[in-house]
Amino acid sequence: MGPRSDSGIPTTVFDRYHPVVALVYFASVLVLAMAAMQPVYLALAVAAAWLCNAWLKGWPSALRTAAWQVPVVLIAAVLNPLFSSTGSTELFRIGYRAVYLESFVYGICMGLMLMAVLLWFSNASRVLTSDKVMALLGNVAPTVALMLSMAARLVPQFVGRGGEIEAVQQACSKTRPASFRDRVRWRGRIVTVLMGWSMEDSLEKADAMKARGWASAEKRTQYRPYRFRAADAVACAVLAALVAGNAFLAWIACSQYHFYPVASTLVAWWGYVPYAVLVFAPLGADAFDRMRWRRIERRMRAYRGSSDGGA
Amino acid sequence: MEALRLRGFGFAYPGEVPVFENLDLAVERGAFALLVGKTGSGKTTLLKCCKQEIAPVGTRWGSVEVLGCMPDGEGTRAKALAVGYVFQNPENQIVCDTVLHELAFGLENLGVDPDAMRRRVAEAAAFFGIEPWLHAETARLSGGQKQLVNLAGILAMQPQLLLLDEPTAQLDPIAEKNFLHALFRMNRELGITVVVATHAPESMTDYATEAFELNGEDGIERIPLDGLSGRPMGKGTADARRTAEGAAASPRLDGRPCIVCSDAFFRYARDRAWVLRGADLRVRAGAIHVLVGGNGSGKSTMLRLVAGVLEPERGKVENGLRRRQALLPQDPKALFVCDSVLDELREWQKACGFDDAAVDAAAERFGLADALGRHPFDLSGGQQQGLAFAKLLLTGPDLLLLDEPTKGLDAPSKVVLARELERLRDRGATIVVATHDLSFASVLADELSMLFDGEVVSTEPTEAFFSRNLFYRYREDGFLRAWAASSSDGGCI
Repeated sequence: MGPRSDSGIPTTVFDRYHPVVALVYFASVLVLAMAAMQPVYLALAVAAAWLCNAWLKGWPSALRTAAWQVPVVLIAAVLNPLFSSTGSTELFRIGYRAVYLESFVYGICMGLMLMAVLLWFSNASRVLTSDKVMALLGNVAPTVALMLSMAARLVPQFVGRGGEIEAVQQACSKTRPASFRDRVRWRGRIVTVLMGWSMEDSLEKADAMKARGWASAEKRTQYRPYRFRAADAVACAVLAALVAGNAFLAWIACSQYHFYPVASTLVAWWGYVPYAVLVFAPLGADAFDRMRWRRIERRMRAYRGSSDGGA
Repeated sequence: MEALRLRGFGFAYPGEVPVFENLDLAVERGAFALLVGKTGSGKTTLLKCCKQEIAPVGTRWGSVEVLGCMPDGEGTRAKALAVGYVFQNPENQIVCDTVLHELAFGLENLGVDPDAMRRRVAEAAAFFGIEPWLHAETARLSGGQKQLVNLAGILAMQPQLLLLDEPTAQLDPIAEKNFLHALFRMNRELGITVVVATHAPESMTDYATEAFELNGEDGIERIPLDGLSGRPMGKGTADARRTAEGAAASPRLDGRPCIVCSDAFFRYARDRAWVLRGADLRVRAGAIHVLVGGNGSGKSTMLRLVAGVLEPERGKVENGLRRRQALLPQDPKALFVCDSVLDELREWQKACGFDDAAVDAAAERFGLADALGRHPFDLSGGQQQGLAFAKLLLTGPDLLLLDEPTKGLDAPSKVVLARELERLRDRGATIVVATHDLSFASVLADELSMLFDGEVVSTEPTEAFFSRNLFYRYREDGFLRAWAASSSDGGCI
């Protein structure tokens, strides 16, 4: 399990920066993962994304995710040769249809890309919590941000009330539905009650909003829980440079690599290193952070030890 | 200088008789004023008339001066926003998803610039000490916390006058004290004028500096605070009365248990804390059994386990009356489906087979006979509770489970409810009530169970329960006075 703050959400290196840094990072790795259809790039992306997933959500969760995603990759690998019969290395034939190694490899790569994208999305949603998304949106579309905030408030309220209504109706044993038709009508009734209740409450909510100055000023401002500081600008600039460089290298790598008719041979190339740096950056930063803290704790222990001994 | 001044003020909703006429009222700056009056005397209407943004539509005459300014005059916008308003229901006032967003909401509306906003939010949060749950989701807060957030959100807007409409009616006693204490600090430390409309002034007299009673015809008059405060109850008069009734109460406790709950464990999700951890409960047939305990002690959960709506994860819940039971929810709105009171009462007619005469009788008994054509949501809080109760009674339950039935009710409505419950018990029904209202429990219960930390820590007959408690006691309040009055009027029959 990753480290957790008081609110139960893991603290990450991204917490040191404005949410826009995390947004830029995840947007970049997602685009690169989708664009770079090349085995080494895909392998790096999947490895980094999966390890990142394990770091953010814990090993059990990451293993569970892998348990359904790896079969998806295999299915894509098996299905692709059935649909695209191209390549030069024939493995075997089903009837008149040849199954080639190249299309098999292509299928695996497609599956890996899907897996990487899914994992990066999952990681992004863990780091960019709703309040960060809201803060990001607030700068561009304050009204949308407020609407989202209100919706996020209403959903748990609706769910809770739905449960309450259902419990009450269910507890009245004499009026419990007997037939299937009754049961359907009974479900409908729960929705009716929920609607009536919520409409009624919305009148009071509208009053409460007006009482707190809703629509009283010409321009609504937005509370900014995060400030964009110099360090954020530097992080964004470094990230931008790294992404631009990687985009260029990935373009070279992809244009030199062919799946068909014969898959190009992969060679060791320095150009992969910047991509590895990019995708493993959060993990590296976290490892660095951990080491630094171990040192700080050791120093504190040593200090305590010496001062206790002196006393 | 006065914070609020009414001169010959009157108001009528369109096409109706005036709610009040010719009111004269002066609330000094820095005062903590109580506004009491019967249900329907127009307390809410009066408060809303003093808050320009939510003033009801209708005809008005005379004048209202808020902070030395007429609401319709020049420069009123700034003044209007110097008036804060807190509504009864903590749930409905919360607009945003997290506490922080909620505190900032009012300031965002005013267009305060982000740096000033951050500072004002910080000040308000620090004043009430709500930093520990600043990032919490508002949906997860308790009622008391929600109402505090509402107060803090208003404080951030720097009000000079605070109007509150039954702010503690939906809170449990501890949350009520916390809220009132916060209000008291705003009043004394910051000099903010407070006007509270309430039907339970007993708990507020220690904080208030003056009180006014609103009476439909007689207008508004200043009343002494002493007359509103309640004495703590325990030994003495209550016990004397109780021993007289005690003899009558005991035989019901010889009945066989009809609900047996043993070693019940329950939680709402695997990663959530246990709500009940080894709870045991025995409810005797034909008795009124009251569950008391703090917020989140599992009273409501216990009722739902008994009803069979929830299943215990471990342990056993036996309920011999499960086929003839009914559950009254905390909020009666959870029961309303139809467009009129009459349809509502008739909704289960076919399923349960009662006749029209029974419907009419029920409407009569709960004072709904004149309101049969109205929409259930247009009824007052007390009437809604009455309607929900009548609707359940029509199904003829032998076991009635009530979740906080007195929440938001004034003293006369509580007496009506208590009388109905007595009548039902005399008919042989078993009643289980989960409540915070100890004075209500004291006159009605045959047995009380106290829930704490997921367990039932004690189950005792009412008299023994209250004579042994040192701190967990009740005070004389409007309900006990009304109850005593109705008992001496021959309500004992």
